[in-house]
Amino acid sequence: MTRLVVGPFNRVEGDLEVTLDIAEGQVRAARVNAPLYRGFERMLEGRDPRDALTITPRICGICSISQSAAAARALASAMGMTPTPQGARVAALIHAVENAADHLTHFHLFFMPDFTRPVYAGHGWHGRVIDRFTAIDGSALRAAVAARADLLHIVGMLAGKWPHTLAIQPGGVTRAPGPRDKARLAVSLRAFRRYLEETVFGAPLEEFVALSRIDDLMRWGRGDVGLFLDIAADLGLDGMGRGSGRYLSFGAYPVDAGPIFAAGAWDNGPRPLDTAAIREDLSHAWMTGTEAHPSEGRTEPDTTMSDPAYSWCKAPRLAGRSMETGALARQVVDGHPLARAMAGGGVLARVAARLLELARTQIVMEDLVAGIDPGATFMHSAPAPREGTGEGLVEAARGALGHWLRIADGRIASYQIIAPTTWNFSPRDAAGIPGPLEAALEGAPVQDGETTPVSVQHIVRSFDPCMVCTVH
Amino acid sequence: MSQIETFYDVMRRQGITRRSFMKYCSLTAAALGLGPSFVPKIAHAMETKPRTPVIWVHGLECTCCSESFIRAAHPLAKDVVLSMISLDYDDTLMAAAGHAAEAALMDTIEKYKGNYILAVEGNPPLNEDGMFCITGGKPFVEKLRMAAKDAKAIISWGACASYGCVQAAAPNPTQATPVHKVITDKPIIKVPGCPPIAEVMTGVITYMLTFDRLPELDRQGRPAMFYSQRIHDKCYRRPHFDAGQFVEAWDDENARKGYCLYKMGCKGPTTYNACSTIRWNEGVSFPIQSGHGCIGCSEDGFWDQGSFYNRLTNVKQFGIEANADQIGTAAAGVVGGAIAVHAAVSALKKAQKKSQDKVEG
Repeated sequence: MTRLVVGPFNRVEGDLEVTLDIAEGQVRAARVNAPLYRGFERMLEGRDPRDALTITPRICGICSISQSAAAARALASAMGMTPTPQGARVAALIHAVENAADHLTHFHLFFMPDFTRPVYAGHGWHGRVIDRFTAIDGSALRAAVAARADLLHIVGMLAGKWPHTLAIQPGGVTRAPGPRDKARLAVSLRAFRRYLEETVFGAPLEEFVALSRIDDLMRWGRGDVGLFLDIAADLGLDGMGRGSGRYLSFGAYPVDAGPIFAAGAWDNGPRPLDTAAIREDLSHAWMTGTEAHPSEGRTEPDTTMSDPAYSWCKAPRLAGRSMETGALARQVVDGHPLARAMAGGGVLARVAARLLELARTQIVMEDLVAGIDPGATFMHSAPAPREGTGEGLVEAARGALGHWLRIADGRIASYQIIAPTTWNFSPRDAAGIPGPLEAALEGAPVQDGETTPVSVQHIVRSFDPCMVCTVH
Repeated sequence: MSQIETFYDVMRRQGITRRSFMKYCSLTAAALGLGPSFVPKIAHAMETKPRTPVIWVHGLECTCCSESFIRAAHPLAKDVVLSMISLDYDDTLMAAAGHAAEAALMDTIEKYKGNYILAVEGNPPLNEDGMFCITGGKPFVEKLRMAAKDAKAIISWGACASYGCVQAAAPNPTQATPVHKVITDKPIIKVPGCPPIAEVMTGVITYMLTFDRLPELDRQGRPAMFYSQRIHDKCYRRPHFDAGQFVEAWDDENARKGYCLYKMGCKGPTTYNACSTIRWNEGVSFPIQSGHGCIGCSEDGFWDQGSFYNRLTNVKQFGIEANADQIGTAAAGVVGGAIAVHAAVSALKKAQKKSQDKVEG
């Protein structure tokens, strides 16, 4: 048995270190360490509750709107209010733009460049990948960065700036879009669809969304998606990094008719979502205190960093079980047939589900814009309560994000956040059950002499980790 | 050192046409507030000078600065500046991983000794010997010191590197510390904002590459060309402030008319930045245009000045010039207070540690 420490990882958001026990060319056990701690939950205590809207987005510059949306939802729930229907619609649109941009970034800037490595020289697709996906310089990367900047005009228009948007509030959004804005939004979306159809998918999005079988998916053959699928078939990415098959989604884009992508849990079949059954286990985190529901949890770092803990990350569990979250989880829970067919998980499933969701999200965004009524009320306001509790649940690009807030004497008494990567990259719990990434890494092949095993790189990135959110 | 390409070589290699290149030079001159006579100067510098290597490191941060940077507005900045400054070492974007990445950093430092610009995003947390931010098995503060040692100059990107930003908010659990408090023997240019505007970032870097010196700085170490005016000075809602027309509640009739957001807590009158002129996301908008007040994210201590929704109380409708400096002093005072608070918290922490030892014992 040899031990290998892999890290720091580049092309992930934040810092990450993975310790691998390797025997007979396979990973036997993996321990994931999130080596960055800032203490946001502690800083929020004692502040005006509304300040959470400004502080929490700064946990992460990549998914800041998700944090902002969760904070707004948590405050709204403490105030006992819901956003106006049109306010919720615009908030959903702003959020969907960020998620779509994140999926695009992940595929182009973070995930695909790994296939340009020299270890893959000699594979039929290697030349194409080098041309399209070389880090920083690849032609596909440059096109994606440009398309993404154009798409984010929508956030600019509706929310002033990105990252670290301020427009989403408990009662809706601060910006009431006029008819001219609505037309400009539609133009931006049309340009993004054209880019997706011409470059990424190589076909109408509806055609990709209509896929329901893995065989049909693998025969896609068009656009950069086709290139990825050729690679996936050649390297067997389907069987790599399989997960537990347990998924969690808080439901994405809540509008007056409910979330556009459904909320729920999945464990070999749909399960109801009971957030009261969430516990954060601290047995392997450098935290003091005891296991608790986030509404009662604390964040007290153990400055002695004593064993057996090995990460700043707590271990959230739903009814005692580890859960995977993200685009695959969301699409499985929502019931998309292709995602359900891929519910066994793995590198292929996670990446393909993200692409599927990118296509679906474009259609969602178009519907949201079409339904904007410039004459309506986009926000109402109410004072923050002196006392109260709130729960804000949203779906970030990387999965289920929850904020739990308690207000006492007009100030924040406690604030707890569970981010998507907290679920996915959690350490072991008291029962010794590994977190989803740790479990997915078991069995990953390691070639002789590999110090940064390429399979481990693929599996880690297939989750699209956001390490700064993980510990916060 | 002899084999470094010029900027122009790099651009041509990227497939940028001569025409686009000249356009970029004139846009840059304009953005930097330089006259048309500077355009050939910039072009000449880019054609003949070896490009300046840049090492970009990330400490305790959220990557929002990188995110902003790669969305720069110049039609070319996205492609050109990124490739031309050649992020010889960048944690978030580069190809190498793991120990190869660490080796790449060492190589770059060695190769361009004394000649590279160190761009720092985020800051080092100093508590507990820096263990709250470990990269490559070492506290970030060590990496920062090592990379700074042979740098020609340092750019502190964003509020984190410049001032500490929200992670330094009371009680500053990790003792997040701005770069200039750790590195004291190098020229440092602060480019604050959370994040800074993309065009400000590319403008600063282009200036340094072109003229091989720091731009003119204000007394806080910020490039004067972008931070010499308040948001308020150039805010398109300013006439409503002067006319006493204010938004009184979110989405009220006045909000729809685009009245001044001062009463909603806007910090535009005390914030020095270029948001109201350059704007965001390729010039589309800025926070005030989206109906939300400015939170003052480019000012030191903005995170600990009371609620973001509290109204500024010391802004006079007329004669505001008289007390702008007083506001600056007040901010410094608050930072001093934060340090005192921090000392108290450290004492508290020690107490916690003791009780925890007891539990374990």
